[in-house]
Amino acid sequence: MAQACAWSVALVGLEGRIVEVEADIGAGLPRTVLVGLADTALSEARDRCKAAVGNSGHTWPVSLLTINLSPATLPKTGSHYDLAIVAAVLAAAEVIPRFELTRTVLLGELGLDGRVRPVRGILPAVLAAASAGFTRVIVPVRQAGEAQLVEGLDVLGVASLTQLVALLRGDPVPDVDPIEVADAAPDAPGGRQLDLADVVGQVEAKWAVEVAAAGRHHLMFSGPPGVGKTMVAERIPGLLPDLTLAEALEVSAVHSLAGFNLADGLITRPPYSDPHHSASVASIVGGGQRMAKPGAISCAHRGVLFLDEAPEFPPKVIDSLRTPLESGTIVLGRSEVQARYPARFQLVLAANPCPCGQAAIRGAHCSCPPLAVRRYGERISGPIKDRIDISCVFLPMRKAYLKAALQRTEASAVVAARVAEARARQQHRLQGTGWQTNGEVPGPHLRKQLPLPDGLQVVEAAVNRGRLSPRGVDKVLRVAWTLADLARREKPGPDEVAVALAMRRGEQLEAAAGQDETRGEAG
Amino acid sequence: MAASARQSVGARGEDLAVAELERQGMEVLARNWRCRTGEIDIVAAETVDGRVTVVFCEVKCRTGLGFGDPLEAITWAKLRRLRSLAAEWMSAHQVSASAIRLDAVGVLLQRGQAPRLTHVRAVG
Repeated sequence: MAQACAWSVALVGLEGRIVEVEADIGAGLPRTVLVGLADTALSEARDRCKAAVGNSGHTWPVSLLTINLSPATLPKTGSHYDLAIVAAVLAAAEVIPRFELTRTVLLGELGLDGRVRPVRGILPAVLAAASAGFTRVIVPVRQAGEAQLVEGLDVLGVASLTQLVALLRGDPVPDVDPIEVADAAPDAPGGRQLDLADVVGQVEAKWAVEVAAAGRHHLMFSGPPGVGKTMVAERIPGLLPDLTLAEALEVSAVHSLAGFNLADGLITRPPYSDPHHSASVASIVGGGQRMAKPGAISCAHRGVLFLDEAPEFPPKVIDSLRTPLESGTIVLGRSEVQARYPARFQLVLAANPCPCGQAAIRGAHCSCPPLAVRRYGERISGPIKDRIDISCVFLPMRKAYLKAALQRTEASAVVAARVAEARARQQHRLQGTGWQTNGEVPGPHLRKQLPLPDGLQVVEAAVNRGRLSPRGVDKVLRVAWTLADLARREKPGPDEVAVALAMRRGEQLEAAAGQDETRGEAG
Repeated sequence: MAASARQSVGARGEDLAVAELERQGMEVLARNWRCRTGEIDIVAAETVDGRVTVVFCEVKCRTGLGFGDPLEAITWAKLRRLRSLAAEWMSAHQVSASAIRLDAVGVLLQRGQAPRLTHVRAVG
């Protein structure tokens, strides 16, 4: 009898696919049928929409009403189809004009009283709508700011179904108080910045952090409890430069999907994620039935993932990071659909050397049996350790501590300026390759396209003695390049290679001399 | 509402439904036919191009929309019973028909308004 359609978006990972919502009012006993591979939250849309329409002063068609979500083979999840369903039904019932729904994407969940509730993933959905050629999006009023981050689209925010109908009919839009959400979305990360000047002493650790920040290298801290491993790690994001526009869009899209509030604009600071060691594999890499949701590694995309007390994590959890560490993405397969999320994060691990934390510290007494010390170290597997560019041992500070506490230490802003300059040099060198930092450059490019550093004999010797893997060679080269960038050199020399090798192995930098030298030039 | 008042609402609705079916050219064969299984509200015959279809019609009458549309009260269980009643009626009567069909009529009797009839064909 009467048929109409409206448009919405299905999210598969971060990729949005346009969904056509068709409503058909046909002959038959009054019944509403929802077809098109809907999950539980979506099947309940039928009852929500029916109540919302009734409570907004309109009538739900008393007839056989068929609602189809097309493409019918694509599994659909979530509650954000409510607005499109209601719009299609009301257009089929000739309450609102059909032509108003062309080139318009609707996103939003309905309350039973007809008010519109916020939903997750507005940003990636609106990006998909824009790239599919839609010219207008209608979203929950509280998320209009998030939708406006995408350029080239008219964004209309609606607070209730009454407003939506008035808007589409061209009637004056009534005032409605936006719904108060009990579990308000958490604010996007990047608000609070900690200063490196708060950390007293630990000059070597600060240097390691500076190098890691400059080249986006993976980092591992080890040392006894209470020497400042966590403090230093928390201050890494403050050293990183702002995200570029493209990066900010990617990072914001992931956070939108993970349910963060983006009303204040795009996320422009590198995110920081520090899951507790009781975390499950699914919470770290992402997971869930039917449609996998992003995990901590995707929330740390273009930022820092800090695993404190790394040996306390189940080994399975840490080993699940192996492939994303190399590829920068994670593909989560489910029977019906594969979700792909970005996961190019900088890994920072912190660990004690043994359960009591005192092993291998001069002058300290370790109470653990030797086997326990070995087992503790083995909880982080070889393949993960092999992917770490820089190891850094924190030593307890004794006499030096009080003296150092009185000294002025460098503030984050000073270090960040050096990092920014080193990043600029990398970007200049890597122009046109698609990579931004030394940490991302693949081995072949490093060895064949860029000039080889001098003084590689030490690296060769380490390989010949079986102390360095082929992957390790690439890691040393990358860190050497970053050291050269920080020292404003054209290419790494023997000093940089030697320091990079020492940093990779976690040796005490007797290359402290080399460090002072590079610093002197950088400062 | 007393039982007698409810019955009179039902009877009024069935009268209106019969009038509607007759207006559409159907011949009413039986009303309120009872057997052990239950009751058929209306049995009618519709002849189109010489082919006779026996129509078993369930009528639901309401005086307001407070409990929903009258047709919404015709549930799957009621239709299943109507289907078995139809089979019993056909075996009890010698009627030559080329097809049978189940219909539903919803009647809304609201105070001060003309009765509103909705006839849905082939519901089950």
